[in-house]
Amino acid sequence: MSQLLGIRGLRTTFPTRHGLVRAVDGIDLDVRPGECLGVVGESGSGKSVTFLSVLGLVRPPGKVEAEAITFQGRNLLSLAPTEIRAIRGRDIAVTMQDALTALNPAFTVETQIVETIEAHEPGIAKGEARARAIEMLRLVGIPDAERRLASYPHQFSGGMRQRVMVAIALACRPKLLIADEPTTALDVTIQSQVLDLIDDMRVRLGMSVVLITHDLGIVAERCDRVAVMYAGQVVETGPTAEVVAAPIHPYTRGLLRSMPSLAHLDEPLVPIDGTVPDPTRLSDGCRFLPRCPHAVEVCARPVGLRAVTAERAARCILAEVAR
Amino acid sequence: MSPLRLAERLLQLIPVLLGISVIVFAMMALTPGDPVQIMLGDSLADQAQRDSLRRDMGLDLPVVERFFRFLGNALTGNFGLSFFHRRPVMDVILERLPATIELTLVAMFIAIAVAVPLGVIAAVRRNSLLDRIATIGSMLGVSMPGFWFGILLILLFAVNLHLLPVSGRIGFGHEVKMVTGFVLIDTLMAGRLDSFLDALRHMLLPAVTLGLAMSALLMRVTRTSMLEALSQDYVTFAEAKGLSRVRVVGRHALKNALIPTVTVAAIETGSLLGGNMIIETVFGWPGLGRLVVEAIFSRNYPLVQAAVLIYATTYVLLNFLADLLYTVLNPKVRL
Ligand SMILES: Nc1ncnc2c1ncn2[C@@H]1O[C@H](COP(=O)(O)OP(=O)(O)O)[C@@H](O)[C@H]1O
Ligand code: SF4
Ligand SMILES: [Mg+2]
Repeated sequence: MSQLLGIRGLRTTFPTRHGLVRAVDGIDLDVRPGECLGVVGESGSGKSVTFLSVLGLVRPPGKVEAEAITFQGRNLLSLAPTEIRAIRGRDIAVTMQDALTALNPAFTVETQIVETIEAHEPGIAKGEARARAIEMLRLVGIPDAERRLASYPHQFSGGMRQRVMVAIALACRPKLLIADEPTTALDVTIQSQVLDLIDDMRVRLGMSVVLITHDLGIVAERCDRVAVMYAGQVVETGPTAEVVAAPIHPYTRGLLRSMPSLAHLDEPLVPIDGTVPDPTRLSDGCRFLPRCPHAVEVCARPVGLRAVTAERAARCILAEVAR
Repeated sequence: MSPLRLAERLLQLIPVLLGISVIVFAMMALTPGDPVQIMLGDSLADQAQRDSLRRDMGLDLPVVERFFRFLGNALTGNFGLSFFHRRPVMDVILERLPATIELTLVAMFIAIAVAVPLGVIAAVRRNSLLDRIATIGSMLGVSMPGFWFGILLILLFAVNLHLLPVSGRIGFGHEVKMVTGFVLIDTLMAGRLDSFLDALRHMLLPAVTLGLAMSALLMRVTRTSMLEALSQDYVTFAEAKGLSRVRVVGRHALKNALIPTVTVAAIETGSLLGGNMIIETVFGWPGLGRLVVEAIFSRNYPLVQAAVLIYATTYVLLNFLADLLYTVLNPKVRL
């Protein structure tokens, strides 16, 4: 089986005072066993909502629709609440952007790890769950793990707190970790430590990782494949090396040109002109059209994700040319 | 809170309490009406006797000296003689205090038992029928005068349905020897289950009247803080861990949401003590509140003075307790 998680035609909308926000609008994505998939896009492009939708964590009045969301061959959409709950945290785990707000300030780290283990292994002995908690803290490199169990989240430094959240997420050895902007809240020096940790755990536990970020540089360094998101849609996917070397979608090109750390050092840095479209007023045509230097008339008509090679696709009329 | 910080907070209470004593003293010193006149009333005492009483009470001294005497006495619990009872004020107050404390505690218990579950359900089922009913109910509860609601309850349950007693703390023939002053405890200690139940029946209406008014406010606080907690990232993360809905709502959200509820409850217990005056009068409850009302009407200055001081001190201490609870419940504030 070449896919662990398959998302087909995912649409998530939020009714708001200003109109219907189409946060995620027709997403197709695959996550393969053992791989690291980078999901990159500007803030507000729908990265977090996509994966909250997969786990059924979008709160009303938000509405999730999809043709299928399959995980290990099971359609998550047709599962009962208790069945999807059994998958959350055990098979698919999440780390959130800011550990300071994601960890509960009122409970010790021990409580927050142990309750996760107990939720998925009912009847486990207290001592055993505690031993596992200590083991997890050690595994993610928290010094003096046994003593730190009694600490509250605010008593850790930012980097250590992020590690605690990773420890909680990995406590039940998930098959898929969704790491939502794991380093955005951190100092640059700590960022690579946390990314190394996630990478290391991926190899050790043999799990897949979805690395959500707005930093294409991070993806280029660490991910096998990449999905670029824009305004609630995937605009380009493919093996990271190929996408970085020869981007097809003008948005991906723009992202690469606006990045200081990548290979194209000879070219000057150019920010992308214009702004992201209003999510309540999205056009039917290409959503990048107002900012696109290559736009032609047909771009105003619906543009689907077009395969370029077996491994690559882009949501742009230029995909034809590339093929 | 570290012991040092605790000591610091306690020290901060001293100027507050001192200020309160100044105000209480000044209020009484400035009130028109001659205490000696009131105390002796229409009796046939002559001027010499009146002067002698005036001297005994220290009323002939300069005002500053009188204040320090008052303060010194207050610190040792000596508030002088009650004009009316001709007994030390403190004795009279201590006799009545347990009834008020007991009523307040039971009322607060009812308030929390009603408010917290309702507030949680209203937040979880936001905008549902139940949420709307609870919202309207709490608005009524906040705006309805307690004495009016109390009288309605008396008319319904005592006068018309004869289900509960009209007034008092315990029925005839059910009296037991008072040891702690708390009738619910004393009846049980005396092994009189019948008396215990009778006392409970007496307590029900006044406690419900006080408690429901308080629960209206506490429910609003719980609902608001619960809604706030439910929208936090840590709730999403807790759900992403695969925890049950009960655990996510009942532990992750509730423990944070209860911080404001408990704090408000502690502070409001102080105003319950004050609100007791009317309710105790309506229900003929032999507590401090009714004593004070009687004392005010009979211009029993020493007693009113002592009671106001006790109310104010209790209020300040309850605020301190609220702070303390806030710290205990909220690990982030722990210093
Ligand atoms: N609960 C919500 N109600 C309304 N709009 C929302 C809600 N959650 C997310 N959105 C909107 O959905 C879009 C995508 O959000 P998100 O997935 O968080 O972006 P990203 O993670 O890529 O920064 C944004 O426009 C955001 O404003
Ligand atoms: S479809 Fe047209 S407008 Fe959209 S990105 Fe491609 S060229 Fe630009
Ligand atoms: Mg996000």
